[in-house]
Amino acid sequence: MGVTVLQQFPMVENRTGPQTIEFLTKRVVALGAVQTGQFLVDCETYMSVPNLGPQRTVHVVHNSEAPASVFAVLESGQRSVPLVADGLFDLLMQKMATIYSKKQPKIEAKGPRFEIADFCVKLGSVTMGQNFKGVLVEVEYRPCLVASSCWELVREFLQGFLGSVVPATPPPYLQNRMNELYQPIDTVNQYLEQFAQYRKATGVR
Amino acid sequence: MIENVSQPVSTATESLNAARNIIPNQEYLLQGSVMDSAVEVLLHRLRGLCDNVDSGPEPFYDHEMCFSIRGAGSMQPLLLRVRRALDYQDMPWQLRYIGQPEIGDKSRPTIVRNSIDIGTSATVVEFLTELGCRMDFEYIVRGYMFRKGRMKITVSKIFKSGQGKPLDNMEALSQSYLVELSVLAPSGQDAIAEDMRSFAEQLRPLVQLEKVDCKRLQHVP
Repeated sequence: MGVTVLQQFPMVENRTGPQTIEFLTKRVVALGAVQTGQFLVDCETYMSVPNLGPQRTVHVVHNSEAPASVFAVLESGQRSVPLVADGLFDLLMQKMATIYSKKQPKIEAKGPRFEIADFCVKLGSVTMGQNFKGVLVEVEYRPCLVASSCWELVREFLQGFLGSVVPATPPPYLQNRMNELYQPIDTVNQYLEQFAQYRKATGVR
Repeated sequence: MIENVSQPVSTATESLNAARNIIPNQEYLLQGSVMDSAVEVLLHRLRGLCDNVDSGPEPFYDHEMCFSIRGAGSMQPLLLRVRRALDYQDMPWQLRYIGQPEIGDKSRPTIVRNSIDIGTSATVVEFLTELGCRMDFEYIVRGYMFRKGRMKITVSKIFKSGQGKPLDNMEALSQSYLVELSVLAPSGQDAIAEDMRSFAEQLRPLVQLEKVDCKRLQHVP
């Protein structure tokens, strides 16, 4: 596990989702990356029933990179409380179905996973319900746990195969945590940040 | 083994459904108590009967908080418990759902209740509070755990929760020890309840382990 940066790859006209993944696959393979299976990050969103008071939202996220864990992020007003639990947490959410219910379609990112030297690259096509929404690229630099120490390196690596779409600044979620020890929940929060943008977008982005 | 790189990853829901028959979600339970003055005799007996003969009983020292959350209208509240080890502060916290206990008739040897045990991060109390749960009560529990096959036996004393008091100066809730015999098993393994009944027999008359109906205790005026 190392610092992970999640980056949106904008869709262009006349290139479909699978074509975009194919296009990026060729580029990372040209760099020397080897495909090591598939990955999946999915998110179910639950909303509190009205009689519980102010509306609260629970995002329950699974990441194939951490298959024994369930990540839950509770949004209550301005606060966000993370919880890392083992797999049976999903059973508990089923028990709470009368208090917290699924109101939104499931959103997920899935696609090929690659390894190249110290990096792990994932090309995810994002779907909400049945609808394709866009492409997310995840890069993990595995030897390092502090974002400020490796952001420049990761950015350069990302630019190497994504080109100019890579911004000069880290993702907003990471910006406030550049000197902290990176944890798996930080990857989950970056996905939630991106998923929220996809939910807002009407078409692909 | 040749790894098939194009094989899709199964979703967490698929894996959970595949494992549904082996997830231990039923707790079989018998409870009893002994006076402080008699606990040494019981511990001695358990030391002889149980599996962990060489290592001796395993001490534990936990803080438990009991939460409830209410859904729509007249629904039964959902009960959740959070436990953490005070003697191993780096260990994961434990979140536990406990369903309504089924007492059953005389032919059923133990209480059976639904139970989901989940290891979690230390943020669980804040998470539950923000979720809308209310903490009903909390306590400190200190004692010993024994194992006999799949059975777990705990002998523990319950203390009023700290409230800033030094932990070695805690006030005990009673002059007795709680004794619990339990097994966590997947559904449909009722045979284990018979094993528990015969084990409980071996502890008589030091302690009488019974199906304690907590609901009836609550309704005593």
